[in-house]
Amino acid sequence: MNQQDNVEPSPSQTPEAAVEPSGAVSMPTSVKIDKTFPLPAIGFCLAAGPSSSPLVYVGTSDFSVYAVDPTAEKVEARVLSENRHSSYVTGLVRHGDTLVSAGYDCAIIWWNAQTGEVLRRIENAHDKWIRRLAVSPDGTRIASVADDMRTKLWDFSSGECLAVWGDYALKTPHHFPSMLYAVTFSPDGTWLATGDRTGKVLVRESATGRIVATIESPGMYTWDPKARRHSIGGVRSLAFSSDSALLAVGGIGHVDNIDHLDGVSRIEIFRWQSGERQCLIEDNKYKGLVEAMRFAPGNQWLAAAGGNNDGFISVFSTVDGKMLAQEKAPMHVHDFEMHSPSAQAETEFSLIAVGYQQGVVVGIRNS
Amino acid sequence: MLASAYRLCFAAAVISTGLLSTSALLAEDGLPAEGLLPADSALPVVIDHYVDQQNQKGGIPVVGQATDYVLLRRMTLDLAGRIPTAAEQTWYATLCEGERTTLLVDRLMNLPDFNLHLRDVLDEMLLANRPFNNEFRTYLLWALEQNRPWHQMFRDMLTAADSEGPEKGAAEFLKTRARQLDDLTNDTAILFFGVNISCAKCHDHPLVADWKQDHFYGMQAFFSRTFPTKKNTLTEKHFGEVKFRTTGGAEKTAAMMFLTGAVVEDRTPSFTDEERKQLEEAVRKLEREDQPPEYTAPTFSPRLSLIDAALSDTEGMFLARNIVNRTWGRLTGTGLVDPGDQMHSANPASHPELLSWLARDLITHEYDLRRLVRGIVLSNTYARSSEWTSTEAPPAAQTFAVAKTRALTPRQLAASLTVAIQHPDRWPVVDPAAENTASEWAARRKQLDDQANGLVREFEQPFDGFQVAVDEALFFSNSERLQNELLKDSDDRILGYLKSIEDNTKAVNVLWKNILNRDPDADEIQMAQDWLGRSGNDHNHALQQLAWALLSGAEMRFNH
Amino acid sequence: MQSPQRPVASRASGSGESIPIEPGPGITGQDMTSQGIASQGITRRSILRNAAAGASAVVASDMTFLNQLRSAEVADELKKQEKRVILLWLAGGASQLETWDPKPGVKTGGPFRAIPTNVPGVRISELLPELATRMQHTAVIRSLNTKIADHGQGADLMECGRLNDPGLKYPDLGAVVARELGRLESRVPDYVSLYTATEGRRKGTSGFLGARYAPMFLSESMTPPNIVRQDSITEIAHQDRAALQNALSRRFANARRSQAVDSHTSAYQRVNGLMASAELFDIEKEPADVRARYGGTQFGEQCLIARRLVEAGVPFVKVARAWWDSHGQNFETHQELCADLDHSMSVLLDDLAERGLLQNTLVITLGEFGRTPQINASLGRDHFASAWSCSLSGHGVRGGSVWGKTDDLGQTVVEGEVGAADLFATILQALGIDHSHEYMLGARPVPLADFGAKPIREVLA
Repeated sequence: MNQQDNVEPSPSQTPEAAVEPSGAVSMPTSVKIDKTFPLPAIGFCLAAGPSSSPLVYVGTSDFSVYAVDPTAEKVEARVLSENRHSSYVTGLVRHGDTLVSAGYDCAIIWWNAQTGEVLRRIENAHDKWIRRLAVSPDGTRIASVADDMRTKLWDFSSGECLAVWGDYALKTPHHFPSMLYAVTFSPDGTWLATGDRTGKVLVRESATGRIVATIESPGMYTWDPKARRHSIGGVRSLAFSSDSALLAVGGIGHVDNIDHLDGVSRIEIFRWQSGERQCLIEDNKYKGLVEAMRFAPGNQWLAAAGGNNDGFISVFSTVDGKMLAQEKAPMHVHDFEMHSPSAQAETEFSLIAVGYQQGVVVGIRNS
Repeated sequence: MLASAYRLCFAAAVISTGLLSTSALLAEDGLPAEGLLPADSALPVVIDHYVDQQNQKGGIPVVGQATDYVLLRRMTLDLAGRIPTAAEQTWYATLCEGERTTLLVDRLMNLPDFNLHLRDVLDEMLLANRPFNNEFRTYLLWALEQNRPWHQMFRDMLTAADSEGPEKGAAEFLKTRARQLDDLTNDTAILFFGVNISCAKCHDHPLVADWKQDHFYGMQAFFSRTFPTKKNTLTEKHFGEVKFRTTGGAEKTAAMMFLTGAVVEDRTPSFTDEERKQLEEAVRKLEREDQPPEYTAPTFSPRLSLIDAALSDTEGMFLARNIVNRTWGRLTGTGLVDPGDQMHSANPASHPELLSWLARDLITHEYDLRRLVRGIVLSNTYARSSEWTSTEAPPAAQTFAVAKTRALTPRQLAASLTVAIQHPDRWPVVDPAAENTASEWAARRKQLDDQANGLVREFEQPFDGFQVAVDEALFFSNSERLQNELLKDSDDRILGYLKSIEDNTKAVNVLWKNILNRDPDADEIQMAQDWLGRSGNDHNHALQQLAWALLSGAEMRFNH
Repeated sequence: MQSPQRPVASRASGSGESIPIEPGPGITGQDMTSQGIASQGITRRSILRNAAAGASAVVASDMTFLNQLRSAEVADELKKQEKRVILLWLAGGASQLETWDPKPGVKTGGPFRAIPTNVPGVRISELLPELATRMQHTAVIRSLNTKIADHGQGADLMECGRLNDPGLKYPDLGAVVARELGRLESRVPDYVSLYTATEGRRKGTSGFLGARYAPMFLSESMTPPNIVRQDSITEIAHQDRAALQNALSRRFANARRSQAVDSHTSAYQRVNGLMASAELFDIEKEPADVRARYGGTQFGEQCLIARRLVEAGVPFVKVARAWWDSHGQNFETHQELCADLDHSMSVLLDDLAERGLLQNTLVITLGEFGRTPQINASLGRDHFASAWSCSLSGHGVRGGSVWGKTDDLGQTVVEGEVGAADLFATILQALGIDHSHEYMLGARPVPLADFGAKPIREVLA
């Protein structure tokens, strides 16, 4: 862990929910799958529609982006526009009526979310496979990460490339190609975190690219020097708490058999500005990769999802890492979005997850 | 190739009875006894009768008996899994020549070494090429210490009960194969019945008329309901059939058929669809859950009915013939049926009557393996010399006219090397009468095994067509372990002891006795003297290298 | 060693060549072996003379005796002996879709593109960019249907070109090549196998050819075990004591000749030669720029060792790269392992070519099977033997050729289906070895490649 100097703490956030008047926090006690719906292919990434719309958008393994209304009685995936990408679509963000997608074809595409019209495409946005996109909370910028080990910042409206940052080794310590899997903005847009295959997490000032913290999470690097001589893990997901004080890093822990993702699903939560690791969560029941995470608005708990051959959706306390509730998902989950469906239920959340050929609607409750 | 006086006496006794007349009677127990020697004949006599008869008929030249000291080494290797200690050699020399061999065999069979070695032999046979399995080894040793009959051990292994008793480890035979139905089927057939029916899986056996697809799938039907639970116990499903496609393309349901063609009645109760569903769900839970609901074992067990089918097989005597053949093969180097998994009409035994007689004897004597082993090693056939110096080609292996030179197993070799390097005067004195020496010896033997264990993996398990690998030669030539452990000259070792001996001739004699268990001949003494004489000041080094030449030499490597 | 004047078989009947079953030739009695020998017109007496010719006969193991027979009889033996094989064994099963037979854009195709190569019309996965510029050396076979999709049996099949029969263990490709191309007087090992990962580790087997052709096996380190003399003994003493052992064992061994006993003698006789080859395994002996070129992976270093070995005359080197068994995260796994294969094999081909070695060295990439077109829930691909690929590069191969075709989804072979035996016949033919040549195991003829094997002539030079 390497705390950089003269970092200004981010403006403290007002917790939005979950703290009861008494000060006692109401924590979820159940995770339940309310609905499953089919997808025509593997769903890798998800972007929620505007709050006025029930729609979500899904980037998939058939090179397409779909619009899905999970509230419909019979959920159908409507292809927004077919085969605009020429490989797996692995990054998808939305702001306003515009969707931006990216994939293994190294292209980034701007879409009209309603018509599917392509507004802009940048071929060879990276030299290698793009893994993920993140959009700044104000919708002005997009960050992309790719296996060329670069992080790029794009102007959302003009498509202009604002910055290119390296700072990751192209190869792992064992001379194999590394991969840059995860990227996320802090909720106020100040910070940008990225994570690679070897467990190296960088936090930057998003405006300048200045690295403000380097977090090493070597437990996420599953190099097996003896039995199989390769690795399978890496930092697959990142999430800031709403006050930006905590950074959760998700991946997989020690792997017994890397043919089968047979390792504990692993999350480390850092007070990243001080470098202190607040907790380590290793789940032996639902194994595999942690592919996506979101903090609850009050930051007392965190939802995480992923899987191996199967999938899981779990809720953990961010204070001590205790598992609060979890549910087996019918598929390996690659991405999800979470929101509180109504103001009256501050401890009731709805989560929509996509993954291997299907999606689920999940209720997180405290009853 | 001088036979000892004792051996001559014993041989004379056999010859004086002439070739025993064969019994023309059917045995009372219904076993195929027609034409066989009487059931009450002594095993060694029967063995020699059949082997000699055939060799006489074929005009096969037969070598003389091995010397007593060769026999001491051979028997100790075969019955105790190691070469004799210096103390045992001393004891042996005191015995009256007429009764030496019997006393030696009785003593060896009463040592803990006998069961330890037989445990290793059965382990290597039954779990060959599978990971070290302590539970199974513990079971085997327990069973051998009870002198548990072979058919009972077979029952233990195929019952595979989930018990906490001493039989527990027996289940490992099936457990290690439980995930592969073909392994359960083939290995049981090969290892317990001497029959390899795997070629009859896709079509009737191409070369052997005996084996049809019906046999392969018939055997498989006994195992098809067996499965391992999540808790790694074995149990059986309530129903389930084996279906296969004939080469003609027809689908057939396999009957539970033993190798003799005898079909076991399928006493599976009929179930409603609902019951089937529930039972399938129960099986699924057993396979997946750590705490599954209580499971009632089926009332009809195909696997247990295989045990009954094998034990009531008085026609083929597959269970008995197989273990007789494998025991014979182990002690003489070549099975009466060779290879041992090819017992069928196209590959007849070299001495069919002998095999039948021994199988019948085993059955009528409660599958007593000790009796069988003792009978074989007391025969003249077993005791022949392994030397063939004629310029003519030696007789074929299956005439048993010359003893076969057999490569030691890794455990035999490791234990023997360990014995060979010990200080000759530090062994417990052999006194079969005194009970306390038994427990003292047991402790010493354990210590030897611990010492030898690290060496075991350096050697390869012999098999048909075995050759010494160059890896082994490199190990002996250059390994640190060899230098530091086998050639160590501390006080408790032979090389430490030899440092105190001035007289080269004496030193050479001690080395030969300790390592090769015999006296050196004149040429060897000369060669060794020359070697030691050439060494100048570094006498210890020269002794070390002389010991190396014997420890790594061909004579040490083989049971001859 | 054997005198060159030994009686030589007339080859009147068939091409059979006898492999001894116990006991070996020279002491053959009424067992089946005698038929094999007799069929070649060698009298038992003549062999016995050889066997009884004193110490020199003891020296020659059964196998070497047979080798002498062959070298006298085959005119182009010397030429053949210059040939080498490096087998890059992709243990666990590499995906054909991410290597030699990409299917971009279809449901089963995965995320990676196909890229053009320097051979017009031939495209391979973008995960092999360096090999794509060297396809003039390589023939790709895309139509293997070997049926067995289980690691153990699949490896048995693809190592030996057939499955063992009851009571008969077949030699693997390395042992066959060692026997066919190895030289008696060679001071280097004739079959070296490197497998340093533990998963799926297999030593290889010489089957009925016996331990003489078993591989020198490197599993724990990059140097063979026990190949270097201990400091506590001088070189002279080391050789002297070996001579003493031989002298002391001679009478014992002479009176008990068999394949097993003779093998003891011959194993010790190979020790000195093998020890002399120790430095071949030491890549520190290579210039720094050469080492740098091979890159820092262990597989790369082992490819460099393989080059050093074939350069010194070792006929067969197997370098196993574990573990391709990508049931989970197939694409991540192949990004990593293909990069290793692509770079290491490319440098190896370049290095061999620059040294003039590629014209007599065949480089094979092969594993026990390929992987399912179907992508599973873990983004993995499972075992698949019905339609998969391998490659042959260098000697004897029509570079740039592609044999066979799979359907659009890669589920089945639609053109040019070949099995393991055909592949082995092709490899042997590429080396100039008659694949239908038969060993005689007693009365049983065993062809080098299994009965019915047909080489793929189209990929042969």
